[in-house]
Amino acid sequence: MQRAAHTALYDWSQIVGPAVIRRCLKCRATLQQSSRAFSVIPPPRDSEEKEMLDRILRVDHAGEYGASRIYAGQMAVLGRTRTGPLIQEMWDQEKKHLEKFNEILAENRIRPTALLPLWNIAGFVLGASTALLGKEGAMACTVAVEESISEHYNSQIRALMEKDPERYTELLKIIKEFRDDEMDHHDTGLEHDAETLPGYWLLKNAIQLGCKAAIYVSQRV
Amino acid sequence: MAALLRGLRAGRALRGLGSVVATPTATTPQCSSLRRGFHCAALRLQDESKSDKPPSSSSTTYHEHYQAHSTEQDTTAASQEDSASDPAAETASGPNTSYQDQSGEQGEEYETEEQLQARILTAALEFVPQHGWSMEAIAAGAETLGLSSASTGMFYNGAGDLVLHFITHCNSQLTEILAEQHKQVQLGQAEPKETADFLRDAIETRLRMYIPYIETWPQAMSILLLPHNIPDSLKHLSTLVDDIWYYAGDRSTDVSGSHHPRSPSSSTHTFLSPLHHHPHNIRPATLQMNWYTKRAALTGIYNTTELVMVQDSSPDFQDTWNFLDNRIQDVVNMATTAKQVQSTGEAVVQGLMGAAVTLKNLTGLNQRR
Repeated sequence: MQRAAHTALYDWSQIVGPAVIRRCLKCRATLQQSSRAFSVIPPPRDSEEKEMLDRILRVDHAGEYGASRIYAGQMAVLGRTRTGPLIQEMWDQEKKHLEKFNEILAENRIRPTALLPLWNIAGFVLGASTALLGKEGAMACTVAVEESISEHYNSQIRALMEKDPERYTELLKIIKEFRDDEMDHHDTGLEHDAETLPGYWLLKNAIQLGCKAAIYVSQRV
Repeated sequence: MAALLRGLRAGRALRGLGSVVATPTATTPQCSSLRRGFHCAALRLQDESKSDKPPSSSSTTYHEHYQAHSTEQDTTAASQEDSASDPAAETASGPNTSYQDQSGEQGEEYETEEQLQARILTAALEFVPQHGWSMEAIAAGAETLGLSSASTGMFYNGAGDLVLHFITHCNSQLTEILAEQHKQVQLGQAEPKETADFLRDAIETRLRMYIPYIETWPQAMSILLLPHNIPDSLKHLSTLVDDIWYYAGDRSTDVSGSHHPRSPSSSTHTFLSPLHHHPHNIRPATLQMNWYTKRAALTGIYNTTELVMVQDSSPDFQDTWNFLDNRIQDVVNMATTAKQVQSTGEAVVQGLMGAAVTLKNLTGLNQRR
């Protein structure tokens, strides 16, 4: 094990050694500048790992951004009703998540998805239109979206655990925390009569299908 | 037996060399097979031959289509149709031990192919003013390293390899310079620059690296536009622009991710500063689309300035730097204008909302019953 690590390091240093051979790995010495103790993700060992982490964080960032816009849409319609404060509270939590991901992307020089304007509009429209169906509609939308997001976070957690739980402890901690928050929102939605909406099953599945498509695309573009 | 092998080898090498010399630029079709089997062990053997080692036969392998070595080489092995080059063979005993002082790399078992290619291309850069960005320059570079000019067969992208290597080299030099400046600022030994100035200096530094090759640079640019080179050149360009913005952004190491306290927040600066925290009533889309628009703007500036530089004949390219100044100023103005439009728009919307509420109050629609 140690020998393998040693040879891996040795090969690595051979490749990285001469400064002009960076193009092999798009090595950026700048990553080492952010102090490791505070950064959430470890400096990637190779371009494959970097790409995997990039995708994970890019889609998470897009997801939180979309969720934030959905709540914004819901607030625009239902902001002054009785459910206003509830939606506001959930919205604030999403904003916190978004900030955290902003930080991570900035620190690690990860490219945000180019479809952000699309998610901006689509999220707002989704939130507003479901809110127009009333409070139950907004809650149903919340339930559907939060369920998708939780599932998605769970699969990311599984993937990271499969790879190397120790290496990604901080990232796993953050994703777990956010997933728990999203599950809370999901449960809140259910508590507030989401299922009483006529056409609940149809709406829920349609939204979840849309979320899956959005996740797929955001990982790549 | 040894003499027979020698004769065979010499004949084959002569034939190979003849065909290579005849068509120095047409090595592309053979190169793929060459490359497949071409192993650095063979090159090491070449280095070894300088020291007049007795020929060794058994422990090394090289590809049968091996044509890229000169006839003066005296060490060979029985050639094998073996495309799976075997690194274990190199660490076998005997002839492998003496090359270490030849390769110039301290304490390493062998040199990778990429490292060798890099060395050849770096050496070839000297000959670019003379031969242009072409295989001749690479061949001349290989010769200064003591390798045969036929080793250009390694570069199946030919002049494109040379240009891309040069670009990579310039980019990494720029990154080093920017990192050094960044460090100076972090240590408090230098004043942080305004973003516009920083960008201008970074691009100027980067373009000045072309000055020694400026005569032949149009040729290099056209090589980069060839379809098979476009993905690579775009990748290098995007890396360059991303690096410059990263250093212009001066990310601090604190975790809070707050706006770095580097420059006074003027209205121009807020566009140019990356990932600055806007208050949440401003549409968050502008926060992240900044990532793309900034890089796109800088790419545009860089490319146009490069084009101007290529046909600039003023002393020390003063016209180019003036052009660069003006373009950066344009971007700054555009950013200011965009911000002004946005705040005007917001003010207008606020005014309209106020008018609407007033109307509703007047008509009594706003009362809850």
